[in-house]
Amino acid sequence: MAVQYRPIVPGIKRFKILVIKIVFIVLGRAFQSASQHDEEIRKEISSWRDGFTLIMKVMPDGPYMGLEKKNNMLEFKGSQLKQADFEIYFKNVESAFMIMTPQMGSHQAFAERRMSIKGDLGIATVFTRVLVIVMSVLYPEFIVKRLVKRVPPLTLKRAGLRVWLYTLGILLGK
Amino acid sequence: MLPSYYEFHNPVKIISGNKALDNLPSELEILGAKRPMVVTDKGVAGAGLVKIFIDSFGSSGMTIGAIFDDVPPDSSSEVVEKITSIFRQNQCDSLVALGGGSVIDTAKGVNILVTENSDDLLKFSGAEVLRKKMKPLVVIPTTSGTGSEVTVVAVISDVKRNIKMPFASTYLLPDIALLDPRMTLTLPPKMTAATAMDAMSHAVESYINLQKNPMSDAYAVAAIEIICENVLKAVSDGNNAQVRLAMANASTMAGIAFSNSMVGVVHALGHAAGGICHIPHGVAMNIFLPFGLEYNLPKCRENIGKLLLHIAGDEVYARTPESRRAEQTINYIVELRKALNELCGLPINLKQAGVTEDKLSEIAQAAINDPSIVMNPREMDVNDALAILKKAF
Repeated sequence: MAVQYRPIVPGIKRFKILVIKIVFIVLGRAFQSASQHDEEIRKEISSWRDGFTLIMKVMPDGPYMGLEKKNNMLEFKGSQLKQADFEIYFKNVESAFMIMTPQMGSHQAFAERRMSIKGDLGIATVFTRVLVIVMSVLYPEFIVKRLVKRVPPLTLKRAGLRVWLYTLGILLGK
Repeated sequence: MLPSYYEFHNPVKIISGNKALDNLPSELEILGAKRPMVVTDKGVAGAGLVKIFIDSFGSSGMTIGAIFDDVPPDSSSEVVEKITSIFRQNQCDSLVALGGGSVIDTAKGVNILVTENSDDLLKFSGAEVLRKKMKPLVVIPTTSGTGSEVTVVAVISDVKRNIKMPFASTYLLPDIALLDPRMTLTLPPKMTAATAMDAMSHAVESYINLQKNPMSDAYAVAAIEIICENVLKAVSDGNNAQVRLAMANASTMAGIAFSNSMVGVVHALGHAAGGICHIPHGVAMNIFLPFGLEYNLPKCRENIGKLLLHIAGDEVYARTPESRRAEQTINYIVELRKALNELCGLPINLKQAGVTEDKLSEIAQAAINDPSIVMNPREMDVNDALAILKKAF
């Protein structure tokens, strides 16, 4: 009997996609809230023009989330933006899951090309520093140590921001 | 130790050796090109290299579409647009870059515009913006330093907007890098030394930074060994074709290494100092290399120590205690710089290079925003950058 060759449609990694979507929401709101309260973040993004947009997305057809700079703050745009001035993309779901969970830091992810960018290279250096600040506020030091090259000092203000993010900041994005 | 994951990419065909240039017409034919446009500069033309180039096409039946020999020392978008228009007018189908870093980057810029059928380079600036396979590009380096003949990057100034546009895409990789010793024989001693130290910094930084991998390491250490063996000879006896060819190979190998594993603080500081004080890139690399290594010691002492074997040889490596190898590596580089300084006057500090102390803060600020910093093992903030600059002053 002749073998029949049929097209194969691979399954969907539902659990990992769900986790990534949840982390995108948490991270996006953390960016929004932290940029309203942290002077250093505001100083870093001051060089970006108003209305500047960036998206983080999982290649080739995974979830994505957007941010827009407004009044020198970052506004979480969820999945409203399909294209942006600057894109950070994860090569695949597995890499995104590893970085989002967070088992791997952004520097290592860039080094291993699991995470890459499309757009202005100068924006990438600024974004990396902002991401380090957000992660250092979001996660306890023993986790951050594994993720970044140098842990930013947890000042009294940043400790307060952490409490705010954990209680209302992420929930309200304020 | 192997990294948990890495990527390495180098599809550039390397053609190296005596009279390698004479293979160019047949190599172009293999690439499907019949009417190449040559991009070069006045220095290269004045040194008689364009004549050697034209001679290599003798009896090939091929027509050289046009020769543009007026690329300035800093590649600019205006020149790229001008060459693009000549390329179109003369119905050229491929590009040959005959020159150093500026000429090569200019040719890459022209290739973007002719491939994308556009007149606006800025639209394609940044990382991974390009999406089309480009026209055939052959690069014939006339300096041994930039490695641009095998890299995915180009930097072109936009004079009107007063910005430097970086381009990074695998599509920018040339098809062929052609290394002919005749092309570097006329390079003056000081420029030979500066470009060699540029190649050295590519190799050294690619070996110690976060993106290092076994493939880039192999190219990096091979480049370092060849440079250490030949650089002083190349500076003192420029007519030695064998030495020149060795240096050209080392530069290409270092280029392959850093194109796959990036560079670090030495380049970040060098780009910043170059942008603000107009120090030639190779001179800046020579100045910053030992200080950049010293800065990274706490994070990659072992890797810097391993370089001693390739810089100083097996005997020195064997008799140096493991705990002292990293410092010895730096000492050897310092000694090499001294020797080059005595031979041809290559500056070893910022003051000698004409930088004034009031510029250091501005350079430090620019350095921490340079993309080269991302793969450096140690996170450099503005205070760290300033401290390195003060030492290098």
